Amino acid sequence: MNNTIDISHYAAIADSIRAEAARILEQGVVTAVVAYTTGRRAGSVQPVIITAAAEAERLTFTAASVNNLAVYLTKAKKDIPRSGRIGIVVKGCDLKALVGLMGESQLQRDQLYLIGIPCAGVLASTVRPAEALIAATLAPKCRECDAHLPEGCDYVPAVSLPSAPTLEPSYAAEIARLEALTPAERWAYWKEQFAKCIKCYACRQVCPFCFCEQCLCDRNKPQMVDTTPRPAGNTAWHIVRAMHLAGRCAGCAECERVCPMDIPLNLLNRKMAKELKELFDYEAGFAVHEKGPLNSFMEKDDQSFIK
Amino acid sequence: MQTYISHHNFHTLLDTLITGGIRVVAPRLTAGTLLYAPLGESGDMVLDQLPRRSAKEAFFPVCEDILSYEKGGQQVRLTDVEPATFPVTVLVGVRPCDAAAIPVLDAVFSWDYKDEFFLERRRKTTVIGIACTTADDACFCTAVGLSPAETKGSDLFLTPVADGGYLCDICSEKGEALVADGSSLFTELGNVTPLPFASPAVPAFDLKKVKGWLDGHFEDPLWDGTALRCVGCGACAFVCPACHCFDIVDEGTEKSGKRRKSWDACGFWKFTHHASGHNPRDKQPKRYRNRIMHKFKYYDDKFGQTLCTGCGRCVRICPVGIDIAAIVAEIDGMAVE
Ligand code: SF4
Ligand code: SF4
Ligand code: SF4
Ligand code: SF4
Repeated sequence: MNNTIDISHYAAIADSIRAEAARILEQGVVTAVVAYTTGRRAGSVQPVIITAAAEAERLTFTAASVNNLAVYLTKAKKDIPRSGRIGIVVKGCDLKALVGLMGESQLQRDQLYLIGIPCAGVLASTVRPAEALIAATLAPKCRECDAHLPEGCDYVPAVSLPSAPTLEPSYAAEIARLEALTPAERWAYWKEQFAKCIKCYACRQVCPFCFCEQCLCDRNKPQMVDTTPRPAGNTAWHIVRAMHLAGRCAGCAECERVCPMDIPLNLLNRKMAKELKELFDYEAGFAVHEKGPLNSFMEKDDQSFIK
Repeated sequence: MQTYISHHNFHTLLDTLITGGIRVVAPRLTAGTLLYAPLGESGDMVLDQLPRRSAKEAFFPVCEDILSYEKGGQQVRLTDVEPATFPVTVLVGVRPCDAAAIPVLDAVFSWDYKDEFFLERRRKTTVIGIACTTADDACFCTAVGLSPAETKGSDLFLTPVADGGYLCDICSEKGEALVADGSSLFTELGNVTPLPFASPAVPAFDLKKVKGWLDGHFEDPLWDGTALRCVGCGACAFVCPACHCFDIVDEGTEKSGKRRKSWDACGFWKFTHHASGHNPRDKQPKRYRNRIMHKFKYYDDKFGQTLCTGCGRCVRICPVGIDIAAIVAEIDGMAVE
């Protein structure tokens, strides 16, 4: 079986991003472009915000372009100066997050200039950024991606997407495994995972939907959630996170990627997404919904829980 | 003094300690992640990778109780945690960058206030360090004056030998006592071939020059340039062997509960958020600046050392690729004598 993911078109994508970013900055279409640039370590890539056409030559796109850059456009990142229209490089999963933010009235489409990436996949982790992209190092979200070609962008590099090997979805398999356990066994699994959590909140800080100016977990008047990384506070945090992201999460899996303790956070997100699909026929996608599934009522909604 | 222990005897030593009731803490897979954790048997130890969290937690746990309170009528009863109950521990497989951070922490926890929790664990722990034979491009111990063969902070220091055993450097009285207790397992140093040490690629920093630049550049465009993208999490501080900030909170009810100490991080906006609502570090670059200043200036001002041992953990895990080695190299490049 050929496990190599063909990303030979990424070099051409990087060229196109550089040219387009330079053009839109030069012509004043945008005031800034949020994109990726290379870092010091071999293969490393990091987010960058450029404001001058001359800086566009620093931009890149590789299998290590993992970040969901949408996070930089949220009000939680208000240190980042903003005026006028902003250009942003988006993979399909990142675009779903932007669309979600538009639905929540956080962003307006006409304030953005979207540079969409025909994406064949990115690395699961950037601890070793120079790793080759093969089935074993591919982000699990990319195995089940339905958004390789972002829709409705202002610019998409003219490259064709190479054919990709068919890979078994891993979240679905893991969800099935956990669903087959007894509640006690399942709880034991999550308890062990949550016990590793050190409350670094990297998962929260990278999430485009965690834009609350003061997270419930940071409030102390009253203290809603214990702050210490112990069973009570950790469990509360993970329930708060999963529930507040249900029906909003775009599946970018950034939370899972950045967790220094390897807690499979996107597994909880996928499980919630599965429930939402079954209960409300809702899925994160490219269309803006004015009301999310959990803050709207429809006649056909399941009411069997009302006894 | 040097001696030798075979791979087999090393495991016997640890298993003997464990069965003798000594707590042996070493890198071990914990729910899929390599962490320093108590061993049930020596076979669970994993020595070929750097654990995700540093060895500091053997002395300065992620979270610990420091007292409990109980209220009955008009009476409030406080019960202290007794550090005397902390177990005697042997901490094994500590990389030079983690071991070298221990004396760095000693300085801060025994400065004006003597932190009994830290110091009692420190007194009761023997540290077995191990030399590195591999490094990645995030490692930069050699750039901050340490090395893959540095024995600082270790009581006994192992250098892997081609036959699977270890050359042992006895670095302290604790190390000497450990070898004396297991003396039958150690043998004379024969004709052994130590494996070549790793050679991290980052060129050495001129730390005095870097500090000199920091002394005069509290305000500088560098901070916005490098750290505007920092998302303000605690990941870098929490995986760091030398970061030592903590928070103290009371948890429980009005009737009873515990006072707890847990890791804190200068990357959090809440870290310097005053009760008045004012925040002197009101932007993320100011918070990140504190990380660099504390490591390469403030700590040096106070204790004459650098608060970074070049383990590279923060470089590997930063969600947005903030690379402290690249930043210090940049400062080193700018600094003028
Ligand atoms: S919860 Fe995780 S997967 Fe969902 S949008 Fe936020 S960072 Fe992405
Ligand atoms: S990133 Fe991981 S360790 Fe940090 S708060 Fe989130 S779940 Fe916990
Ligand atoms: S600052 Fe980073 S590289 Fe330096 S000791 Fe801490 S975690 Fe390691
Ligand atoms: S430097 Fe990186 S790891 Fe540290 S607070 Fe900023 S985003 Fe988090």
